[in-house]
Amino acid sequence: MTSTETTPVCETPVQTGDVLLSIENLHARVEGKEILRGVSLRIRAGEIHALMGRNGSGKSTLSKVIAGHPAYTVTAGAIHYRDQDLLALSPEDRARAGVFLGFQYPVEIPGVSNLEFLRVSCNARRQHRGQEELDTFAFEDHVRDTMAIVQMDPAFLERSVNEGFSGGEKKRNEVLQMALLEPLVAILDETDSGLDIDALRIVANGVKTLALPTTATLLITHYQRLLDAITPDFVHVMAEGRILRTGDKDLAMALEQRGYDWIDGADGADTPQP
Amino acid sequence: MSNASQSRSWLEALLQVLAQRSGQPASQWAAQWAGARDWRWPTRRSEAWRFTDLRCLTQLDPARLHNRTAAPPWPDGLSQGSSRHVALQLDGHGHWRAPQGEPPSWPHGLMPLPTEDVTPGQVAHTVIPSGTLPLGAQLNGVTPGPSLGLQVSGPDPVHLALAIQAEQAQAWLAPRVLLVLQPDARLCLSWHVAATAQAAVLPMVEARLAPGAQLEEAAVAQGCPGATFLGSSFVRQSPRSVYRRANVTWGWGLSRDEPFIRQSQGQAETHLHGLAVARGQSLVDTHSTVYFDGPAGQLRQRHQALADDQGHSVFNGRVVVPRAAQQTDASQLSRNLLLSTKARIDTKPQLEIVADDVQCTHGATVSCLQDDELFYLQSRGIGREQASRLLQRGFCEEILQRLPRAALAWSSLQRLLEIPVPDQP
Ligand SMILES: Nc1ncnc2c1ncn2[C@@H]1O[C@H](COP(=O)(O)OP(=O)(O)OP(=O)(O)O)[C@@H](O)[C@H]1O
Ligand SMILES: [Mg+2]
Repeated sequence: MTSTETTPVCETPVQTGDVLLSIENLHARVEGKEILRGVSLRIRAGEIHALMGRNGSGKSTLSKVIAGHPAYTVTAGAIHYRDQDLLALSPEDRARAGVFLGFQYPVEIPGVSNLEFLRVSCNARRQHRGQEELDTFAFEDHVRDTMAIVQMDPAFLERSVNEGFSGGEKKRNEVLQMALLEPLVAILDETDSGLDIDALRIVANGVKTLALPTTATLLITHYQRLLDAITPDFVHVMAEGRILRTGDKDLAMALEQRGYDWIDGADGADTPQP
Repeated sequence: MSNASQSRSWLEALLQVLAQRSGQPASQWAAQWAGARDWRWPTRRSEAWRFTDLRCLTQLDPARLHNRTAAPPWPDGLSQGSSRHVALQLDGHGHWRAPQGEPPSWPHGLMPLPTEDVTPGQVAHTVIPSGTLPLGAQLNGVTPGPSLGLQVSGPDPVHLALAIQAEQAQAWLAPRVLLVLQPDARLCLSWHVAATAQAAVLPMVEARLAPGAQLEEAAVAQGCPGATFLGSSFVRQSPRSVYRRANVTWGWGLSRDEPFIRQSQGQAETHLHGLAVARGQSLVDTHSTVYFDGPAGQLRQRHQALADDQGHSVFNGRVVVPRAAQQTDASQLSRNLLLSTKARIDTKPQLEIVADDVQCTHGATVSCLQDDELFYLQSRGIGREQASRLLQRGFCEEILQRLPRAALAWSSLQRLLEIPVPDQP
């Protein structure tokens, strides 16, 4: 059996331009500290967004709140994912419904085989979409094909999840998971950090391949290099738990040249997002 | 009636019944076994039994005990003998038989010892001080029945698979195995013990390893609520011998496993890897002791336990390094996963070190499932329940990977590791 597409029964088709993720005035805290202080963001199918900002400005926090990390409490605001109240869903249901987070720091899980992890996870998403689950053999074929996207060595399937993987190998494993889960909204938190030059190109190409007119991508990054490879439609700059500025790829370029002080200096008015 | 006198009368009734079976007067029968007459029934006041309640055992009715067994569900291929492999199962008379029923055909390098050479306790008494036989071995000793005694020779590994299946309530199975490994002999011994009814299994293993001999033992012991496992093993190692033991124990109402190893002149290698899974009301207790009588001995020990529901895991790892045992290199690690607020873990290293030029390390950790690991799995669509199972299995893997493939093939172990289909979204 190959992974020929069966028509998803649970997932209604997406049209380019549909709003997939809509964040309104989101406030969230962790350990009593308010980290997100009014984030608003709207992401449509077919778009690629970049999120930048100083260390500690709240980018990863935003991504974890979207994915449903239990350590973070939303104190105000809302997130809608395709008309659903995303905050009402468990982390696993968000993932099954098509929200994917590529972790800044992927977690090592000793003793759990990467292959089995990927299979169970892939099947959970497939089941949600009304696709037939893949047995061990079918999945192994499927995953080997998919690994080609990030040029990953199948030997990594035999190892424990992320255990002993180098920084770059972990990031490739994240993109592999994205490829297997076929999310509608993919948030990639510094997936470019720690990659060598060749790996960055490979990963960027992989992400580009996976960004479809019917999906949306949010790239959290510190570097122009990634955005040279994947041109974002929007660039947002986060500071102190808010989106301070929104622009296009030129904003990222200007930041690269002038640093974040330049934004702080400019009057902080949010640029309206088209 | 007090607990102690209840236990006392239970023991007397038991000894009566076992003596009757042996065809000898009770007192005489009991006296055959050193120290059996003046047993001190363990109470929870003694340190070694502080956590371990024997009620599961004493709920058996001595008058109704029998030694009937069932056919073990051998995995494909494992029950067939070959020139290097023999499989044996315990029959209803306490004899070891080939699964097809006929007497075993012994592979080259494995030779049964004459019955008169197989006196129970002969190795045990050279491994532990006299008068300190553990309860399991004492009870085993007063149970009539033959011993299996085997001599192993030759450097090509011989495989011996032993299986015990108890399916009827009140089964009382106390097999004895004596293994004599000649210089440089190699034996891979695998055990599969299963009880699916309120029964007691009390195996006793004695092994003597000549210089350069290697014994690899893998034991899978699965019980059920109400079933008791009291295992004891005594291994005496000569220099350059290697003893590796990996065992997995779960499901028993009460399990108490007591391996004793003595490196009689040091300079040997001992590897102990244990996994205990205590769910429900299960109590899984391991008390191990390793003695180093000479220099430059090595121990690698890792005990892992997982306790859920109201399960209770007890580990006591005793390592004895007297002055004669300089340059001993011993490490012991106890890793524990605590999954419910009512579950309990008691773990204690007991290092008795007198020699000064030694390297002995020990460590013990007790942790819960890690939130970040759970979240990572959940963020990939894996339900919390299943994520938790995956992590539990990951925890077990460290020990399981030490088991030979053949041991992993038993369906009981497969069930322990089973992961259900993803939960409904
Ligand atoms: N679990 C937590 N406990 C305590 N503080 C936290 C926690 N998570 C985040 N924070 C704090 O929230 C702030 C924002 O952190 P976050 O990881 O979102 O920043 P970031 O924008 O992703 O930074 P970087 O670019 O360095 O990855 C930081 O000050 C951080 O210390
Ligand atoms: Mg971050």
